[in-house]
Amino acid sequence: MMYDIKLNIENISSKEKKIREEYLKIFNKDGFPNKKSEEWKFTDLNKIISNNFEELKTFNQSNEFKTIEKVEDFEHNFIYLINGFLKSHDFKFENKKYITIKELESTADQNIKTTNPLINLNNALFTGGYFLEISKNYKLKKPLIVYNYFLGDLKNKITNSKNSIILNDNSNLDIIELNIDHSKDNFIYNNYTNINIKKNSSFKNYTLQGSDSKGYFYKFSKVTQDSDSNYENYIFTSGLKFNKIEENVDINGEHANCNIQSALFLDNNSHQEIKTELKHLKPNCSSYQKIKNVLNDNSKGIYQGKIYVKDIAQKTDAYQLSKALLLQDTSEFNAKPELEIYADDVKCSHGSTSGSINEDSIYYLMTRGISKKDATDLLTKAFFLEIAESISNTEIKKFVEKNLDKQIYGYKKN
Amino acid sequence: MLKINNLKTSVNDKMILNGVDIHIKHGEVHAIMGPNGSGKSTLANVLSGKKGYENSGEIVFDGENLNDISIEERAQKGMFLAFQYPLEIPGVNTNNFLKTSLNTVRKAKGEKELDTLTFLKLVKEKSKELGIDEKFLSRQLNVGFSGGEKKKNEILQMKLLEPKLSILDETDSGLDIDALRIVADGVNTSKNKDNAFLIITHYQRLLDYIKPDFIHVLSKGKIIKTGDSDLGIELEKSGYSKL
Repeated sequence: MMYDIKLNIENISSKEKKIREEYLKIFNKDGFPNKKSEEWKFTDLNKIISNNFEELKTFNQSNEFKTIEKVEDFEHNFIYLINGFLKSHDFKFENKKYITIKELESTADQNIKTTNPLINLNNALFTGGYFLEISKNYKLKKPLIVYNYFLGDLKNKITNSKNSIILNDNSNLDIIELNIDHSKDNFIYNNYTNINIKKNSSFKNYTLQGSDSKGYFYKFSKVTQDSDSNYENYIFTSGLKFNKIEENVDINGEHANCNIQSALFLDNNSHQEIKTELKHLKPNCSSYQKIKNVLNDNSKGIYQGKIYVKDIAQKTDAYQLSKALLLQDTSEFNAKPELEIYADDVKCSHGSTSGSINEDSIYYLMTRGISKKDATDLLTKAFFLEIAESISNTEIKKFVEKNLDKQIYGYKKN
Repeated sequence: MLKINNLKTSVNDKMILNGVDIHIKHGEVHAIMGPNGSGKSTLANVLSGKKGYENSGEIVFDGENLNDISIEERAQKGMFLAFQYPLEIPGVNTNNFLKTSLNTVRKAKGEKELDTLTFLKLVKEKSKELGIDEKFLSRQLNVGFSGGEKKKNEILQMKLLEPKLSILDETDSGLDIDALRIVADGVNTSKNKDNAFLIITHYQRLLDYIKPDFIHVLSKGKIIKTGDSDLGIELEKSGYSKL
């Protein structure tokens, strides 16, 4: 099935319109990717969309509003997004002159040449999103929560947004991205985020799903790291019906570190994929990836992880592991590790395991009066604990653990 | 309290228990002794409700036939099995586990669930009695515990859950004399006229500390002899082969 997606964005210059139409033309030529494409071999997006959307309309403005249900667990700055649009922000704990936050200017970038259909679609249709820049030598005192709300009638809508995050030299930023869905029907959220971490800076990102959602999420992050920089991304997006996260990281400075971890509990036939491409372009850098999935029902989890080591990137230390627990015979997990190494003095390792839950442990817990369901939940949480434990910020760690409980034991129904 | 009548158990068509009869009344301590492979642990597992066995005969616990009763319900009704090899469960916090277990059992009994503070006070008190270092309680369940510590942890669970029937499956194996004494004290101080114990063991030495009312000798899946506590001493001297 092909969708006829139209450019219906108002108030743009004819030049921009032309650029966007060009991108749209490229997208419309082949439409959504299917499993014939290597990047999408485990996620036939075209089929998934055909099965779940009667039609697709571009969503490009939002008049919806709802007061934020603020996280009370710790003090924080915030950015408030509704359907991808920047509504408000508050950096009350910071010296504001070191922080730039604004709506991302709606100028399509001519220079993003890609064969990725979702990025082409995003280039054509994006509206909304934010631009955030931290000045040199500024370290935020409190974490930033991005409240990512979805409100109103989004049925059969596709919303495209772009964010841009820049950390200048010697700066620090922790973001907790909290997805909260109050809309009722299936919609698509297509986001492209550009992240630039300059020398000796540290950016930690935690993506949490705060509610069940019928959203179909695609998020592509393009990360560039300078020397001595640190990038950490923790993914806890259980609850989404569909999610594909792509992390494309250029480790482009010496002594930089990249750390990607996830703990996903997939239930109710959900489908989630994490796809990473880490490029070690300079010597003496390290990367660490640990992807954990627990799969129930007919859910499907995928991890495609590629590590590329350039010839000059000697002393690279790259680690990659995926572990899956399958609770039902109908659950599915696919892993595709890929190493492409052109340097000779490197340490690269990868591994993947999947299996069912330990029956002896279940038996032991049941002899203590605990039901099979509760025993499974306990062991699921135990399986994820390692990921949560590796979060260094205690407040965030506690918040993540609380959120994991919700994800495993079920979201409170509103 | 517990009536085992003509219990036959097989695994993959191999007969392990071949018609076991044991009757345990409130306030009694029974011991089962027997050589390796006689079916002692199988009996404990079958009583707990473990899957994978073909059973015939009946097990009646407090007047109720247990045939279709699940593992966790048996525990909730007051049956407790102390494992020969307690499991290590990484990622599960010992205190959390103890609280979940205790509150599930309390709830099933119609008792009020304990809040965290009351629970912690209780678990501290019971651990102290058993000489369990408090730091073990905040560690992952049995992970990195020594054999003795694991066994003490089983007895701690028994003391918290206050079961009607406690089945101790070779709890004495791998224990030094001090730990053995602590475990035995744990049983002796829990004993009252309303509960009962079934102690499975290879050796007489645990029975020096816990005096059973009856000793049953299990051999090739059958009880071949039942006697009082003197039978244990006799067995220690002459072995099983004379029977």
